Amino acid sequence: MPDDLLDRFRRGERLALSRLLSRADRGEAADVLARLGSPTKRARVVAVTGSAGVGKSTLVGKLLETIRLQGQTVAVLACDPQSPLTGGALLGDRFRMPSRPDDDGAFIRSVATAGGRGAVAENVDAMIRLVEAFGFDVVLLETVGAGQGDTAVHGLADAVVLLLQPETGDDIQWEKAGVLEIADVIVVHKADLPGAEQIEAQVRQTLGVSGKEGPPVLRVSSRTGEGLDTLADALAGKPLRRGNGAAAGRDLLRIAQDDLMARFAEAERAQDARLARITASWSQGTLDSRQAAAELLRILADTPSSPAPQTAR
Amino acid sequence: MADSAPIRVVLAKVGLDGHDRGVKVVARALRDAGMHVIYAGLWLTPEAVVRVVADEDADWLGLSLLSGAHMTLVPRVLQLLRDAGLDRVGVLIGGIVPEADVAKLLGLGVARVFGPGTALPDIVAFLRARGEVSHA
Repeated sequence: MPDDLLDRFRRGERLALSRLLSRADRGEAADVLARLGSPTKRARVVAVTGSAGVGKSTLVGKLLETIRLQGQTVAVLACDPQSPLTGGALLGDRFRMPSRPDDDGAFIRSVATAGGRGAVAENVDAMIRLVEAFGFDVVLLETVGAGQGDTAVHGLADAVVLLLQPETGDDIQWEKAGVLEIADVIVVHKADLPGAEQIEAQVRQTLGVSGKEGPPVLRVSSRTGEGLDTLADALAGKPLRRGNGAAAGRDLLRIAQDDLMARFAEAERAQDARLARITASWSQGTLDSRQAAAELLRILADTPSSPAPQTAR
Repeated sequence: MADSAPIRVVLAKVGLDGHDRGVKVVARALRDAGMHVIYAGLWLTPEAVVRVVADEDADWLGLSLLSGAHMTLVPRVLQLLRDAGLDRVGVLIGGIVPEADVAKLLGLGVARVFGPGTALPDIVAFLRARGEVSHA
């Protein structure tokens, strides 16, 4: 690890940040993070999630401008999918975002995201820590836009914004079991289109039935600008939750769960003989469930967690 | 070392040129070859392109030009890359560039100019052969 890169980073050199983000992306920034220590100032991390085509990149771009106008600096980490077959990726989020070459208070980085680990890149946590240490006030984390399962962002962000759009009708039904539960703010995006009120009403009803105090539901249009300030204010008013208080342990557990799932998938993919042996013993009844599960955990503990696509790492 | 990391390529169009069919085809070919392609879009200023290259920690910049403005825009981009300390980033040009200008562009530091009729595998092979320019 070149010392001068870290020195340049500490001096606020943007290229050093960019370079270190690449290391973090590859999972090679543990030493850097250790030497940086805990941040002097916490950044507000806002995850923006929702299905493909709902307008995540566009809204992130608008939020970036809105928050900059309010005087805070913003780093965007935009996750886009990576092919499980070739490892290739076409990262096309940033071209929907504003180009601000003269603005040092805005930073946009595209992050290729392998499947099987939720909707954000494996090492995005380290990347968040780097932009935070660099001094950005707000980090906007855009997910690849999966749907049900991408609850992993909850542990990484201070607030999760879930985007819905008009004409998604029944999708609400399946989404309510997943991200709807972990959303801190629900945005009905493209609110200039007909049908936005119905979606808003449906969401409010779904949340109302569950009985507890629900997250705010806001109508936002990136086209007209409606609701952008309200959204930015709603986000600024949220307490910084990440890694704090009673929820932190559960967040960590969630991250560990994801990690465990990835390790299991890797063991299956690699046709780990030990896995087959335990499964067989359990099926035949020579191992009881608790013993078998304990054995499984032992195997997974020394199984790599990186998913298959990239060969050498 | 970063030997295993995929090659990162920023593809962009500079200036007043809205013909983005070609650059999108190239984007797809590089993606399918396992590279990470950042599509920065069209109508960008040289300043905006260089900012993208810096923030994305790209190994290569591919500029698509079909407007005839290459002798104005490309030298400007090259200069800004040098000013930003990004000399290590390789620059490829694609599009319509007259033969006489190709030599000039190469002389200015462009790694390669791919004109009409270029086979996609040739671009992939060129990038692979050159690998990451100097990614430490």
